[in-house]
Amino acid sequence: MTASERGFDVLVIGGGPAGITAATTVRRHGGRVALIDENVDAGGQVYRPLPPGFPRSSKPTSEQRAGDRLRDALASSGADTFFEHKVWGVAPGFRVDAVGPHGAVALSAPRLIAATGTSERVIPFPGWTTPGVIGLAAATILLKAQRMLPGRSTLVAGCGPLLIAVAAGIVKGGGRVAAVIDVASRGEWLGRLPALVSRPDLLARGARWMSTLRAAGVPMLWRHAIREVRETASGLDAVVGPVGPDGAPRSGETCHFTVDSVTVGNGLTPASDVSRVLRAKHRYDLVKGGWVAETDGSGRTSVPGLYVVGDGAGIAGAAAAEHHGAVAGLAALHDLGRLDITVVRREAERLGAKLDRAARFGRAMAGMMAIRGAQVTAIPTDTLVCRCEDVTRAEIEQAIDDGAREVNQVKAWTRCGMGPCQGRTCGDVVAEIVAQRVGGREVAGYFTGRLPLRPVSLQAVTGDYVYADIPIPKAAPL
Amino acid sequence: MSSVAATDDDAGAGASGLRIGEASRGRQVSFLFDGRPVVACEGEMIACALACAGIRTLRASPRGGAPRGMFCMMGSCQECVVRIDGRMTTACQEPVRDGLDVRGGTIGNIP
Amino acid sequence: MSARFDVGVVGAGVMGATTALFLARAGMRVALIDRGELCREASGVNAGTLTLHMTRASLIPYAQAGWRMWMTTDQWLGSGVDAVATAGLALAFTDGEADLLERRAAVRREHGADIRVIDRQRALEIEPGLNGNVLKAAYCETDGYASAYLTGRAYRRALAEAGAAIVEQRPITSVEANDGGFAVRAATGERWDMQRVVLAGGVWLGEMLRWLGIDIPVKCLINQLIVTERLQRVMRTVVSVASGLLSLKQFANGTVLIGGGWQGRGDPVRGGVETIPENFIGNLRLARWTIPALAQARVARIWLGLEAETSDAMPIIGSLPGVRDAYVIGSVHSGYTSGPYMGKLLADLILGREPERPLFDPARLVGIPMPVHT
Repeated sequence: MTASERGFDVLVIGGGPAGITAATTVRRHGGRVALIDENVDAGGQVYRPLPPGFPRSSKPTSEQRAGDRLRDALASSGADTFFEHKVWGVAPGFRVDAVGPHGAVALSAPRLIAATGTSERVIPFPGWTTPGVIGLAAATILLKAQRMLPGRSTLVAGCGPLLIAVAAGIVKGGGRVAAVIDVASRGEWLGRLPALVSRPDLLARGARWMSTLRAAGVPMLWRHAIREVRETASGLDAVVGPVGPDGAPRSGETCHFTVDSVTVGNGLTPASDVSRVLRAKHRYDLVKGGWVAETDGSGRTSVPGLYVVGDGAGIAGAAAAEHHGAVAGLAALHDLGRLDITVVRREAERLGAKLDRAARFGRAMAGMMAIRGAQVTAIPTDTLVCRCEDVTRAEIEQAIDDGAREVNQVKAWTRCGMGPCQGRTCGDVVAEIVAQRVGGREVAGYFTGRLPLRPVSLQAVTGDYVYADIPIPKAAPL
Repeated sequence: MSSVAATDDDAGAGASGLRIGEASRGRQVSFLFDGRPVVACEGEMIACALACAGIRTLRASPRGGAPRGMFCMMGSCQECVVRIDGRMTTACQEPVRDGLDVRGGTIGNIP
Repeated sequence: MSARFDVGVVGAGVMGATTALFLARAGMRVALIDRGELCREASGVNAGTLTLHMTRASLIPYAQAGWRMWMTTDQWLGSGVDAVATAGLALAFTDGEADLLERRAAVRREHGADIRVIDRQRALEIEPGLNGNVLKAAYCETDGYASAYLTGRAYRRALAEAGAAIVEQRPITSVEANDGGFAVRAATGERWDMQRVVLAGGVWLGEMLRWLGIDIPVKCLINQLIVTERLQRVMRTVVSVASGLLSLKQFANGTVLIGGGWQGRGDPVRGGVETIPENFIGNLRLARWTIPALAQARVARIWLGLEAETSDAMPIIGSLPGVRDAYVIGSVHSGYTSGPYMGKLLADLILGREPERPLFDPARLVGIPMPVHT
């Protein structure tokens, strides 16, 4: 019996907190669900599991315990799981195509929940493509899931809550942090306190991180950003300079740091690949992190049967994602006629309240990660914007000079976004550059969603076959 | 395709001290990168094992020929793409296994 | 009230844009109007194959002339589309396909193409990357390819220099004949007045023709195109198959473009919106069969292009029946290759010159329904 014959009610793409609770909720109410994720186990990025064979701490952190709790819940839920499966295709109705360790898999169900999380936004600066410069989320994964330092001496830069999380993680792991460079000011962070007190545990954790950094003598440079990174004989030379509240460089003293690694991140952007391919309606939301599918409170999009939940629907944090996934699981079953409306209302009300409380903290963090337009304005013209295709800002500007008015036209003329990352790395920055010249994000648009959702080899997709297996459609006339 | 010279090569495996709690890792594993043996620990991703061995340049950019290596660690940016036993794949998502033949370098414009 | 144009061209694909370009250079006041951007539909997203193998036999002289124009864009367009001349091979893997190849080659030779059938050994010498199972191949020395996505940029500069008014992002809602000529109206409420009108709207031609009271059904094909990430060199010619259902080429940047007309889902309103997984897999299976080294290539992108087709699968180019000073151009299979030449021929007609080759009278198709495919 093939996977697609197992008669699933719901397919869930993404095994982070939102995807897990979507699946377990569907199971709890008697639905048949399959969850697909490219990693070896569930947890997403925030709760990445340690590889088997790595020693487990006798005192797991609250984050590790949360991840284990969710993984256990999924494992005992009866949901079908397809780990180490890379989803390359989604089709209306819905069909999901993936490749896994044992070949290609095609799954079908009348309801699809996309819980695909985010990708990290890094605003380009000269030298950002140098080996040894990695994202903040990347450093988080190194620390948590590979028990590894990014370098012996690391510069940590960018914005948002990952900054001190990564810096403290490096210090606790025995590494040195040359400095923490935050585009925000201390005042901006303090201004978020009213929202942050809704999670005293997370606030306390942040305070502990700060004291770890203080004790290690790590300099905190508020209202600063990296200007340039250069490779020298003694390592990476990072130039850091002051910025204004909008992220624009200000005149003032710059300083140099000689390190062997730089980790930099300027926020997270919701991954909207699935909803864009399925042609759901999207709108631009600065605080949510960028273009997101338009959704109602239960994650329903403009495409009937498609739900988007978790940070992929707008940055709101891991705790909110758990509740969001559950809400969508209920909605999906209800929309299939499998769940009584009174059950749904009761559960949704309970979950909705939890979600709102949880989201307060997450949304405050999202606000700290929102893109600062002036930081994009300041990208020098000869700096690479599209890493895959080596496209500079100058080439993008030239395309706009030549008449390109939206990002897909820029892509057609510069190859920006045509490489294997499919525009995930540069997309938000390109859209901001274009938007600043054509009159806003709605005019600039976003890269049209296209398959495959990730690069996939011909061998993996085509499998074993002979010539006669190929269904040749009717040929054109002579 | 031959690899790009790794100008940031360090002393060999283990000398970089990037592993946290190195002594208590899992089983040792050995693979090849561009024909050179690299020792790693089971459960590590190829990109991480290489970084711990001081190898951070995995390929060259297509037009500029500039050195590139891992960046996002989540299989999204494709900067760490290497060829493993003939397959193009992201080194940050590929766990180390004994005997893997990993090749760096990238494909730029065809001469 | 907008100023009056000598001619308005509705639809800025390669056909409309070329017609507009030559009319502007001849001194006419030209408006080129498009629902989107210049050359962004079929003209911007096709596989860029410049081949005689897959051209309709009777269109071969037009394709040859078009091929020459693409290879010499510096002489008439200014900038180009990175056109490369290579040999082209059409392959047969079965006896039935070998017969088909012989027949297709013979018909094309009758129409002036230098295509001959060669054996497996010769084919592998020309293209070492081919599957060793190939039985026979049809060989043409003068094939090639271009990067279609560069088309719009090249035309934009030339049109601006020629003084044509380029009007983009204006979906047109009506074309009305009046005393002075025609009034073209956009959804925005804007209006352009002109003495002559050229309908060059590709898959939207059926609707446009109806505005002028002419019933010619135009089908919309949703063609799938697949491109890989950059690879080491795996091929050096343009390769197709006997059935016409595969096109393969490798660009200088190392990417391999896989086409062949496998269908996706979509329509002229929404565009190409959905890849059909079985067709993606089938197209790739044919590609991998043909050039086995593609097995390890990774697909970077799939997109869908809209292609117009008439009921007899031949172009509609010429004066519109019963409507003075109105013209149509479009619906040419492998129309990218011959596009610039077709556009130039129509411009000649409009300028009162005798086009050097016959055009394709639209009157023949009025009221003829689309054939039903079983």
